[in-house]
Amino acid sequence: MGKHILEIQNLTKYYGKIKGVENLSLKLKEGEIFGFIGPNGAGKSTTIRSIMNLVNKTSGKVLIENEEFNKDNVKLKEKIGYLPSEIYLYDDLTVKEMLDYHEGFYKKNIHNRRMELVKKLELDEKKKIEDLSLGNLKKLGIILAFMHEPKLLILDEPTSGLDPIMQNVFYELLKEEKEKGNTVFYSTHILNEVSKICDRVGIIKEGKLIKVEKIEDLSKKSLTLVTITSSQAKEIKEDLKVNVILEEGNTIKFGNNLLPDELIKKLSKYTIDRILIEEATIEDMFLHYYQ
Amino acid sequence: MFKREMKINLKSFIIWTSILIGLLLVVFLVYPSIINNENIEMMNEMMKMFPEEMLKAFNMDISSIDSAFGWLKTEGFVFILLITGIYSAILGSNILLKEESDKTIEYLNSVPVTRKNIVISKMLCGFLYITLMIAIIGIFNFIGLSLSGDFDKKLYILLSLTPLFSSIVIFSVCLFLSTFTHKTKKMFGISLGIVFASYFLNIISEMGESTEFLKYISIFTLSDIRNVIVNVSINPLMVLLSIGITCVFMILTMSHYQKKELV
Repeated sequence: MGKHILEIQNLTKYYGKIKGVENLSLKLKEGEIFGFIGPNGAGKSTTIRSIMNLVNKTSGKVLIENEEFNKDNVKLKEKIGYLPSEIYLYDDLTVKEMLDYHEGFYKKNIHNRRMELVKKLELDEKKKIEDLSLGNLKKLGIILAFMHEPKLLILDEPTSGLDPIMQNVFYELLKEEKEKGNTVFYSTHILNEVSKICDRVGIIKEGKLIKVEKIEDLSKKSLTLVTITSSQAKEIKEDLKVNVILEEGNTIKFGNNLLPDELIKKLSKYTIDRILIEEATIEDMFLHYYQ
Repeated sequence: MFKREMKINLKSFIIWTSILIGLLLVVFLVYPSIINNENIEMMNEMMKMFPEEMLKAFNMDISSIDSAFGWLKTEGFVFILLITGIYSAILGSNILLKEESDKTIEYLNSVPVTRKNIVISKMLCGFLYITLMIAIIGIFNFIGLSLSGDFDKKLYILLSLTPLFSSIVIFSVCLFLSTFTHKTKKMFGISLGIVFASYFLNIISEMGESTEFLKYISIFTLSDIRNVIVNVSINPLMVLLSIGITCVFMILTMSHYQKKELV
């Protein structure tokens, strides 16, 4: 088991009386890619902004390599690469000038890594930032986050705006970072991304972290989706005490945690016209936790 | 960061300095031709018709406008004071706040730099541009006056320095106030309000004994042109006060900026 690179302790953030996140605790191990998922407004960005000290925490602490990460801890800032969901950079600069400016903030020589990333992501350094498309702006944001070879990458919706080819290049970059032993905190609402690249996943709902699980365990969970058409649909629903995802006339669809044998025994009491049992995708599991 | 700050604020510096130089150039070109014995006689007659308070407000009771230097001592420096004040106010309210309104502050706060250093870089840039503007105007006027005739050089140099005191204080106050908002438009109105309110309070304070107390709440009191003309010296208290107030607002800015959140 690797050491913890990021530790969030009882993080709470209120905007006046409005809850952003509440009592959120989490530990990220060195070399893991942690998926942080939740719908809009669940508290993903508030958590990230609290980690980055862009907003003031109501209470709680953030530790990076066991040291408290405060606003002016420049030493720890050097170890973090941050990519916000919406990137705002200096429109008057060209890509080259922006990257030069960024280089100036770091003591070590990061020029070679910058050149590598520019080449890999096929970004034209001569272009002005104000003329960049959303995808190219995202590429620039990725280069800025990765070029100083940070130990911890905090990425908020990193693939939005990237075309599928560039998305794959980006996933390759993440793999490389993982191989180097760097840690990634990956916030997204694209669930198949999570199953493809993450080692663990945390689900946030209404400002609270409701589940943290390894991706392989989540896949092993015996959640199936059952669709039944029956005149006794209502009784089945009450008997099995299930959370119905879809209900249309005599047809119900629900998430099922029972073992197959147990499910069939329970259903054998009823007259069933049609039954469909499917394996749940990660999206279904996510929705299941959200209901 | 300081270099970038200098670069992005260069354009507005050039524009404001050019406006001021352009207006002063017109005065230097036109003034000698309109000033002849006949006109001076006429103007002096006209001055007698103005109330004393009015003449005091523009220092016309202690200086005549019979030469370019005379004009500078009266209307000229009041005008320079006002323009450098407006420039300082706009610079102070924009220099830090622009990062928030353009949302680039998220980037800046994520790179290895302290908030204190961000504020210091912007302050240094502001102070440098204000000093540069006053120096350029000073040199320009010096050349203009040298070509126009003889003038009291010591008095002129002291007068040229006076706008610096009110300008750096206006800059510091506006910079501090900008840490309370995220909107440049709002701050623009407030900063200009401070300059004009200060300016009028200063004028009113010189109109009579009953309104004299108003000078204690006007930033322009720190640039006491009247005292410089009468005593040919700068009141050291005003220098100390300007430095003191600027330092206090610098500390307050850094302390309050530390708590500022992203919206």
